[in-house]
Parts: sequence; structure tokens; C-alpha cells
Amino acid sequence: MDAAQLDTIVERYPGATGRVLGVLEQVQRRAGYLPRDALEYLARKLAMPLSELYSIATFYSFFTLEALGEHVVTVCMGTACHVNGAPRIVERLERLLDVGAGETTGDGKFQLTTADHAFSLTSARCFGACSMAPVLRIDNRIFGYVTPDKIPAILRQFDWEGNHHRNY
Amino acid sequence: MIRVVINGKACTAEKGESLLSVARRKGIDIPAFCYEETLAPYGACRMCLVEVVKGAQEGITTACTLAAAEGLEVLTQTSEIVSLRRALIELYLAQAPRSEAIRALAQRYGIQKTRFARKVRPDDPLQNRCILCGLCVRICHDVMGAGAINYIGRGHFTEINTPFYEESAVCMGCGACARVCPTQAIAFEDIVQTRTMKSWSGTRVPLHACSKCGRHFAPAPFVNYARQKLAPDLQQTPLRLCPDCRSREIARKAVLLSTGAAVAD
Amino acid sequence: MGLATCGIAAGADRVYAALESAIRKQEHNIQLRRVGCIGYCREEPLVNIHLPGKPLVILHRVTEADTGRILHAAATGDVPRDLALCRINAWDPIVGDKLVFGTGFEDIPAYETTPYFAPQQKIVLRSAGLINPEDIDEYFAVGGYTALHKAITEMSPADVVHEVIISGLRGRGGAGFPTGLKWNFTKEEQSLRKYIICNADEGDPGAYMNRNEMESDPHMILEGMLIGAYAIGAREGVIYVRAEYPLAIERLTAAISQAQRHGLLGENIFGTDFSFSVTIAGGAGAFVCGEETALIASIEGQTGRPRPRPPFPAQKGLWGMPTNINNVETWSNIPVIIHRGGKWFSGIGVPENSGTKVFSLVGEVECVGLAEVPLGTSIRTLVFDIGNGGLRGKAIKAVQTGGPSGGCIPASLFDTPLDYAHLTEVGSIMGSGGVVVMGTETSMVDTARFFIGFTDEESCGKCVPCREGLKHMLMILDKILAGRASVADIEILEELSGLIRKTSLCGLGQTAPNPVLTTLRYFRNEYEALVERSRSS
Repeated sequence: MDAAQLDTIVERYPGATGRVLGVLEQVQRRAGYLPRDALEYLARKLAMPLSELYSIATFYSFFTLEALGEHVVTVCMGTACHVNGAPRIVERLERLLDVGAGETTGDGKFQLTTADHAFSLTSARCFGACSMAPVLRIDNRIFGYVTPDKIPAILRQFDWEGNHHRNY
Repeated sequence: MIRVVINGKACTAEKGESLLSVARRKGIDIPAFCYEETLAPYGACRMCLVEVVKGAQEGITTACTLAAAEGLEVLTQTSEIVSLRRALIELYLAQAPRSEAIRALAQRYGIQKTRFARKVRPDDPLQNRCILCGLCVRICHDVMGAGAINYIGRGHFTEINTPFYEESAVCMGCGACARVCPTQAIAFEDIVQTRTMKSWSGTRVPLHACSKCGRHFAPAPFVNYARQKLAPDLQQTPLRLCPDCRSREIARKAVLLSTGAAVAD
Repeated sequence: MGLATCGIAAGADRVYAALESAIRKQEHNIQLRRVGCIGYCREEPLVNIHLPGKPLVILHRVTEADTGRILHAAATGDVPRDLALCRINAWDPIVGDKLVFGTGFEDIPAYETTPYFAPQQKIVLRSAGLINPEDIDEYFAVGGYTALHKAITEMSPADVVHEVIISGLRGRGGAGFPTGLKWNFTKEEQSLRKYIICNADEGDPGAYMNRNEMESDPHMILEGMLIGAYAIGAREGVIYVRAEYPLAIERLTAAISQAQRHGLLGENIFGTDFSFSVTIAGGAGAFVCGEETALIASIEGQTGRPRPRPPFPAQKGLWGMPTNINNVETWSNIPVIIHRGGKWFSGIGVPENSGTKVFSLVGEVECVGLAEVPLGTSIRTLVFDIGNGGLRGKAIKAVQTGGPSGGCIPASLFDTPLDYAHLTEVGSIMGSGGVVVMGTETSMVDTARFFIGFTDEESCGKCVPCREGLKHMLMILDKILAGRASVADIEILEELSGLIRKTSLCGLGQTAPNPVLTTLRYFRNEYEALVERSRSS
């Protein structure tokens, strides 16, 4: 993102209330992550130490410092989803996308991107769509009542070509 | 002035003063890691737990955040408080197994070893001694105005370091962080013309040379910072000299003054 | 057409598009409108159909394929019976005049006799699923902003606070502090600037009532805040919404600009000297920001690490000014209290617990959804009468209420009334109203591990008992689940729970051990069985 784009975002927050998180949220939504040069530019623009902005960027789980894949698959890890089988959904997604969330789920949180950068698999706390648990979100679409077997068809809607090497 | 009662002893205090500060003035021992008189109370280390037996909010709370009020009565060493403190010390022993300060406190509380899994990282820039009390972050930001370091991440993944774990462009090398650290976790060293903040991603800061003897004695950015804080007429002389040369200079002037000779600079 | 987040996920947007294009093509004399969600989530997508003089009929599980016959039936003055869930002859929006839809269609079950709706009493969700949340005129049509008019033009700020005090309303965000008393703290502070905040950082996993309240009736929240601001003396308000709720943010933003256009926000509201403006601030994924001081830090652009109280936000809150924070659902109750009076409101529910509460009934229960019942209704009524028991007839073992700060209540205690005191007595809390039903196959140790994993992940890391204590609790729970633990580990788990409860800095830490404490209290045998297994192996 260039300086002009960042300036436009900052201008949308004339008051101090909610500004810092609001600006970062817009950058995250537009760029898909918080690029380092954007943070450095914003630190100067908002007159904050870079260390503070970096601290914020690493505190809130909505922000990422690395570019995510083209499509972001987010699995809801809320209570209703948990009791209705979210862990099995994660397992299947790991295998289909060939990424190893299991290795990093010690803290219940993961963020993995496929080798071709087409998909990122992440977790989120409750989406608030508990009535259709388990749910997952791909980009901005929410899919409810997901079962492991429904996942390939869902992924195909996002140009997933499947893993041809193995048979699932 | 008002009166508060600590462990049955009457103490005088300023209204609103931190109870921890009142107790320490009286020589009452309450352990605390995250408290520093020059900074606002933070309430993170939880070691200064006391029990309020008479006051606005009765029960267990932290002394650092408890404001002295007329008639306040607290106990600092009840069996419950001691056992809570002991459990907290065990958590600290597991978190910062290389900290001598924590081990010394554990010994005072009769704790031989922790029941919890110890976290040891061979490459920890804070030498497996950091307990995340936050004093370094706060002194750097709130007092020195540099903001070179901050918390990174959250929960038990929290670390303290420079942004992107790279050399800081704003660290003055003042070492205030190391001075306030209760567990001596922060390491830096001076080699000839350079100070290296080893704990802070190896941030290097040039050292300022004494204008008389040429010895490198203080971080240059900090000398400049300190100079700006002085009144204009004091901004030149004193800080160009290292402490040794400065005292020699002062002594020389005193001798000259006493012998009535004209002072030549 | 019901179009809230879960309806959309169930395909409501596609049904809406199909209806829209069919109406346009066939030139039907039919008006198609968007509404929020009436709360029967299992039956989504829902379509309300109203023919002149007839009852409003709710159609359920509507697909794109059904749209043709729905429109065809409507053109001939009828509704497809197989899709009809229930009919509503007349509706009381509580604030405005009674809405009379009509009579007929006697063969369709009446709303009042539908098992899911019968035990419910809608006060907060009085208009949810019936009005278009994106159209202020529809809010006016159900008496919207009349309570505000009454408060500003006929009552003093002290009268308003008094009315809220006698209503007995308690905070709906978790702790249940009396709202009127809380308002009074900020009202009494002498300051030129004061703030009010709507806490919409609904973070409890398994709870989504606030999302629906914002998506279905955003003006109700604005009106509540306006009345509160007038009473407290605040000119500025902030709605702090979590980033995971984009549709709620969109509808609140639209509602704010409509209210501004109608002079209901801005300077000199209703020609008086009362002025008020509202800003939306977004959260960014941190459960701890539901805690008041962390929420304020977040709005100020800092990390959400709570600070010690006192000073309380009422004394020193946002930007150092006196600040009053209430949950979305608390604000939603205010217009009703002002319109009908505090005394009327206090007659609903049970003593000390007046009014209703919206619960999200989820997990292994047949009828998932949002149910609004008077406080004091039993868990049994909620789970069995409204929820129709376990999913596909499964037996139920327990419910978990109150999110990560709450606890698990076994089926043997399902006669417990859902009120603040009784839930605390059984070791749980009201919290924001999430009720997760668990079948007999659910492991309660795994459930406890789930919640400790959640709070461990969401701990801000400022104070040691929460940061380090929860980490070790999680490690011990993993050890127990893996069959490698001993009885001593259970004792350490209990000791850590006590330590975290007593010594943590904020409410998140102080309540975090509750899921372990309640499962140990009611399902200790499950822990012991796992420990036993490791001893014998």
C-alpha cells in the first residue's frame, strides 16, 4: 500500500476515538495483512512509537504480519462448533489443503498457507453463527452445518482443484 | 496527613498514596516486582497482595494499587496471603528459572522447587529471567520517552523486544531498562566506542568520548537527550566530560577559587 | 425475508434474489422487504408473508425452488401449507400500538401455540424479524423513538435514572450490576465531558444474541443509548463492535446516518439543548476487550490490557473522562422501560431479576436458536420445551452457561431457574446468555480443556496467575486426557483454580477457572476415571 492510500484511510478517522485499531483494520482488510512499510509509515503519521504499533499488531488476533493466501478459510472454534465436531473439520481441511495445522494447535490457534498461496487455513473464536455449527468461513461467505465430507465441494467453489496425488 | 493501620501498627500517610509505598517507608516487607515509585501503579506481578480488613473494598488486593485512606486497616502476612504468594513464586520459578532474584525470594518463602514445568529457552535474549513485569517497557516509554521496546504478542506467548526483532532506531542506550529490571534479565555491554543492547536485538549505540581524556563513557544519543533537558546555559560544559574528568575539573576550580586566583576555563 | 448473518449463511440471500427477480419479471403486486431474524435459527431461511386481512405467516426452510409457488399462492391469496411454520394474527411491539395483521388460515398453528415460541416473551426482540433494520420508518412504525421523545421532553435526567432504578434492570453483559445505580455513578461525576459506551464485543463462544439485536433492530440500541446519554449527561457515545460482525457494523452505520438525517443524533435533539453523537469503534479479536478497562484501552488505540480498578470507568474512563459502559442488550431494554415505566418492567421475571433475557440455545439440542424468556424460567423449559431436547433424540448430560467464565450444569439440576443468584449458586454465571447443550457422549474433561484452552489463548498476559497459571492448568488437563496423570494432578488443578480466582487482576482471569471447578464439582468421576486408567496402564 502506498502513502496516498494510507493517508486516505487515516483521513476517514478524524477523531482519536477508535482511530488506531480502525486504521489497522482497514489496512488488514485491503492488503490482507499489515505490511511492514505500512506500519512504519503509520507510526510516523499517527505519532506513535513503532514498537507500540507492532505491539498492537501482535496482540489482536485479527491482524497478521504476513500475507495470507488468496482465499482464507477460517474455521470457527467456538463452543457450539467444538461440540458439533469442529476438530474433525480442521483435520479434513489440513489433509485436503496439505497443511499441518495439527502441529501448531497447541495453543488452539493456527494460521497456515498452502505452498501455492491459494489458500490460508486459520482459526477464529466464535463467529456468532452458532445455530449452524459447525461453521467455516471462506473469505466473506459463511458455510453452516459443515461435515468433513462436504468440504471438497465447498472448496471447489473457490477454484480448489483438489489433491490429485492422494485419494480421500 | 492521614492514619492507616498495617499489621496493627499505625502509620501516617498522604491521602491517596500507594499503600505499598507507606509500608516500605515503615520498613514493612512486602515483596513486589512491578512497582517503581516514579511510575503509575501497574498491578501485574501480584506479589504485593494484602488483605484489607477495614476499608472501602475489603478482601485481598494488591498493595501497590491500594490508595491510603483514613482508617484503612490491612494485614500483609496472613497465612492465606503467604500461601498465595508461595504459589505465585512457584509460577515465577517455572517461568524464569534462571533468575537469582526469584530463587532468593523462593528461599525466603521456604520453597525448594516448583511443581510446574520449567520454561527454558537456550536462545532467550532475556536469559530465562524475564517475568514480564513491564517495568522496562514503561520506563522506556513513560519516563525516557523513547518507546524502543514493547510487549510482543499476548498471553504466555508475550515477549518484550524491539519491533520486528531488529535493531532499534530510537533506543538511546540509556540502560534505564536494565536498571529497573527486578530480575537482572536485560543484558548490554560496552566495547570501546559502542554499547550493544544484547537483549534488544543487538541494538548498537555509539558511545560519547570525553572531551578531555577521550574515554568513551556514555551513549551519545543519551548525552544529547540529557543535554536538551538542561537549561541553555548549562547545555555545554558538564556533559562533555566523563565523570572522572568532571570531578577533577570541579576540584581544580575549587582550588583556584580558594587561592583567589582568577578562574580560567 | 429474514436476512441476518445466519439466515444468509443458510441461503436466505439466494432466496431473496430469486424472489426479487421473479416479482420483477412477473409484475406481481408484491412488496419484498428485508427483515432481521426472529430467532428460530434451525428453521432458516424464514420468509414472512402477509396478505391483506390475513395473519402474518412465517414460512420456514425456504429454498430457491420454493419461490415460484410461494408467489403463485400469494397472487391467489394463499400460502403454501407445507412451508408454513406458524401464523401471527396480531403482535404487540410493546412500545407502539398493537399491530393487527388479520384473521384466517386457522389450519396453520398459531405463534402462541408453537412449542418453540410459546414459553417466550419478546421484549428485547420485540421487533426482530418483523421490521426492516435498514429502514428507520419501520422503526417509527413500531413506536420507535417515542420513548426518547418522552424522556427528553417530559422527564428530567434524574427521573430517567429513577425509572431505570425501579425497573430493577441489571446489566446483561455478565456481572448483572443494577443498571440504574451504575448510571448514577457517572451522572453524579462533575465533568464537562462524559462518555457512554455500548459494549458489542460479544466474545463468549456460543453466544450471538447481541449480533442479532444489532442486525435486526439497530435503532433500538441507538434509542437506548440516547436516553442513557440524556440521563447521564454525556454528549458522545461509542459502540465497540467486534470485527467478526461486519453486517452488524453495516446496519449500525446505516442506522446512525438515518438518525442523523432525522435530527435524532446531532445538535439540539427535538429542539432541546440535548446533543449527542455516536461513533463506531471496531474491535480486532481479543476476548479480554469485553472487560471495561481493556475495552477503553482498545478504543484509545492501545493493546487491551486491563488496568486496576479503582479508579472505575465511572470516575476515569475513556480519555480520562467519566464513562458508563453497558452491554447491547442492556441498552435495548431502555426504551421499553421509559415507555411502559419501570414498575411495569419490574413485574416481568422474578424478584431481583426483572425483565427477560435472550439466550442462545446451541450445541447438541434439537431446536437451536435465540430464545427470549422471563428471568427465572427454568433450564428445563429452555432446553426441553423450547429446545425440544437433545439433537435427534439424544440424551442430554449438561448445559454450559455463561461462556468461558461460566460453568457446566448437570441435567440433574435442570430445574434451576435462569436468574443471576441461582446460576451463581450452582457455580456458573448468567454471562451474556450463551447456553451450550451437551449430549451424554461429550467428555466433560475435554469440555473443561476447551474452555481453559480458550481463556489461555485469550489471556492478555499482563498478570502472572492468569498468564502462567492457565498455561499450567492446560498442560495438566492435557496430561489427564492423555491418561498420564495422577490424583495429585487433580489437586494441583484445584489449587491453581483457587489461585487464579483470588489473585488475577481482572474479571477474565478471576472467572477463568469456573469451567474446571464446575466440572470437578459435578463430573469428578470423569476426571478420576481418566486418572484411574493411567494408574492401571
